[in-house]
Amino acid sequence: MAKRKQYDMKSPGTRELVDEIVHGTFVKEGTLLAFPTCFPGSSAPIRADESRITALDATFNGGVYGGTSGYATHLFVGMFHGVTGAVLDLGTVEGGTHCAAVCCGEKNFVAGVNGKKGGRLVGRNLQPLPFDLIQEWGFNRKPFDEVGEIGGGERIVHMAADPQRKFAVGTSSGHLFVVDLEEMGVETIGELGGCGQIGVDAEGHFLGMDAGDSLWSFDRQAGRLERQAVPLPSGRWDGVELVWARDPGDGTLYTADGEGGMFSYRPDSGWSDCLGQASLAPVGPLAVTFDGRLFGFCGEEMARLFTLDEGGVRELGGAASVFERRRYGYSFGAAVVGRDGEIVFGEEDELGHLWLYFPKIAPRP
Amino acid sequence: MEAYKATWYQFTEHPDADSCWSLSVGPDGRIYVAACAEGVPGGIVKLVRYNESGDRLDYLFDLDQVVDDPHDSGRATQCKIHYSFAPSMKDGVLYMATHLSGPPIDLPAYSPWRFWHDEERCFRGSALLAFDTASDEVLWYDTLIPKEGCRCLLIDEERGLLYALSYPRDHFIIYDIEKREGRDIGRIGSINAQLLFLDKKHRVWTTDDYGHLVRYDPETDRLETSPFALPHNPQFQSGWHSVFYDAAPSPDGECVYASTWIAQPRLMRIWPNEGEWGRVEDLGPATQERDPTLPTSMFLDHCGGLTFAGDGQLYYVASRWRDEGYNPLPPDHKAHEGVVWRLDIDTLEREEVARLERPDEFAQYVSRGAVDHKGDLFFGHVGPKPTGIFKVWMPESRKRSDAHLPIRIWG
Repeated sequence: MAKRKQYDMKSPGTRELVDEIVHGTFVKEGTLLAFPTCFPGSSAPIRADESRITALDATFNGGVYGGTSGYATHLFVGMFHGVTGAVLDLGTVEGGTHCAAVCCGEKNFVAGVNGKKGGRLVGRNLQPLPFDLIQEWGFNRKPFDEVGEIGGGERIVHMAADPQRKFAVGTSSGHLFVVDLEEMGVETIGELGGCGQIGVDAEGHFLGMDAGDSLWSFDRQAGRLERQAVPLPSGRWDGVELVWARDPGDGTLYTADGEGGMFSYRPDSGWSDCLGQASLAPVGPLAVTFDGRLFGFCGEEMARLFTLDEGGVRELGGAASVFERRRYGYSFGAAVVGRDGEIVFGEEDELGHLWLYFPKIAPRP
Repeated sequence: MEAYKATWYQFTEHPDADSCWSLSVGPDGRIYVAACAEGVPGGIVKLVRYNESGDRLDYLFDLDQVVDDPHDSGRATQCKIHYSFAPSMKDGVLYMATHLSGPPIDLPAYSPWRFWHDEERCFRGSALLAFDTASDEVLWYDTLIPKEGCRCLLIDEERGLLYALSYPRDHFIIYDIEKREGRDIGRIGSINAQLLFLDKKHRVWTTDDYGHLVRYDPETDRLETSPFALPHNPQFQSGWHSVFYDAAPSPDGECVYASTWIAQPRLMRIWPNEGEWGRVEDLGPATQERDPTLPTSMFLDHCGGLTFAGDGQLYYVASRWRDEGYNPLPPDHKAHEGVVWRLDIDTLEREEVARLERPDEFAQYVSRGAVDHKGDLFFGHVGPKPTGIFKVWMPESRKRSDAHLPIRIWG
């Protein structure tokens, strides 16, 4: 190993370099705010080793539903608008240790939960808004409804809701299925070994990883599952568990290959060229806000926030929350767009928090 | 009563040493010290021992050389041992684990977050050493925690396990000495507690970011968190950051006396074997009143060096400083002082027995304290370089041989 010359601490610019090393490591644009899995000051957070947040979804009116993994699976709802400001632990799913996905309908939500005895779907109606979480409140905990199993308890891999939130499409270790989010019923469509997340393209077709560097495609309207329907673009796809983000405006889908290369997909124009490279791989949870900017985390053990916009990919630094909850963020397992375009990340770590990211507002050109 | 006399021993043979985070009695009854250099690019820690017959310090080895992680490699260096001495009486081994975050030799600072993914810069990891105090040999070393430092270390000799907290990720680590294998139990929070202690049921105790007790129970193999916050000043503290700084076991092993790592640290007595979450007694603030609207420096307002001595009483060092509004000390006092207190554990009354004074600088910050087999007190000091240690000669009437037993098993 090459020997190096000792840094002269009296060198000009030392103070600035130290500040850059110490502070410039963390989020450089926008604001991250860690919110605990409780009603601060009124309830205790979910136990640390039961609070790895691995699934999130949002309702039309801004409720954030999620599920945890660890020694137990909890399902919860985060409320951040009006006179709220709380995460309500809706309860544990008996026997659950891993929440693969949560999907919100207009009135109900469904979670795919795995445990020692296999996977199953549970859910209940959406949590009504409380009264006033500054002055007076009261919450009850209702039991979850058993929605069903797939293939006799196969492991649930993922689910995604359709943009109108009428139904969700999911995969288990052996089947493709559809959940009616209004009637809370399950229909098994056919055999399909799920791998990674499911995306929903601009035409409402559901896509997921298939053999041979391709995607399967499911058209719910036609009831048609097409295997190896969409070839993946040039990249490294071996062993990749796909993550997706959908532009809520035009439905453009984004994903990443195994080396952090970012791609977009539209049914009418197909795949983009590589849009840029995340600084670390694998790429983790992603979400696209209302103006089309994508935000996500990449890297293991100590993830980095990054963005993809018209200028390409830029790293935004490590996660730190300095408002009220002072916390570093290292590992994230889920992302969803909130009511006003903020991104909500689920922290997949002991004592996981919901991290609300408010992107930088660009100055007027 | 005879006076307690304090003597200053500077790290003259390690002029870059800017901190002494670790000081412990070894299984041989002698005092071992970490002369750390964390503010100097390429700085390293040296293991030092107090030489009783010569009344001086002996420099035993440079950590970077012993563990083959050279100080000029461009990586973050093996710059300190941070509350990570763990003596084993069974075999005379003093275990020690290194810490970061001294800068690489060609940089002015190191951030473990920034360089985590940088293969050229990232800290290699906390080096765990087994040092035989009988032969003065390093028997073996291993990487205890890849990429991270070891904030504090504890040995459960009966079970052959070492326990550690990692920095920066604040993970709870278990290391099996015989198998030389580590296991990561998970993250606690963002602020390292500076200490772990063991109870009679082999449970390991520490704290979380919000000043709650955290306990690892080998029966369940899980970490659990107390619903209660440790004592703190409700005027301007919430419990946040009231993590353990130091704790000394009572000689009978029934309780520990602890201080917190926050400005205006709190003293407390914890009976871990009582009730579900033990019994915590608030012994009040360790330092003086001050302006609550100013976040006072944690290097000024501090309490550490908790240790029991041969007289069966608790000794610790708390800072004191001149403050025109709250503590206008008379002119014969230095502006900042380290005050050695003796706490009578029956009456809980405390008595000032000595002031720590170094000729060149203030000496208000003490990290750890220990008593040697001859019954004298020693305190590690953090301050301008070269820093060093203090010996406080115990009055003969309060002294006894083998006063270090039963030995403290955590750093």
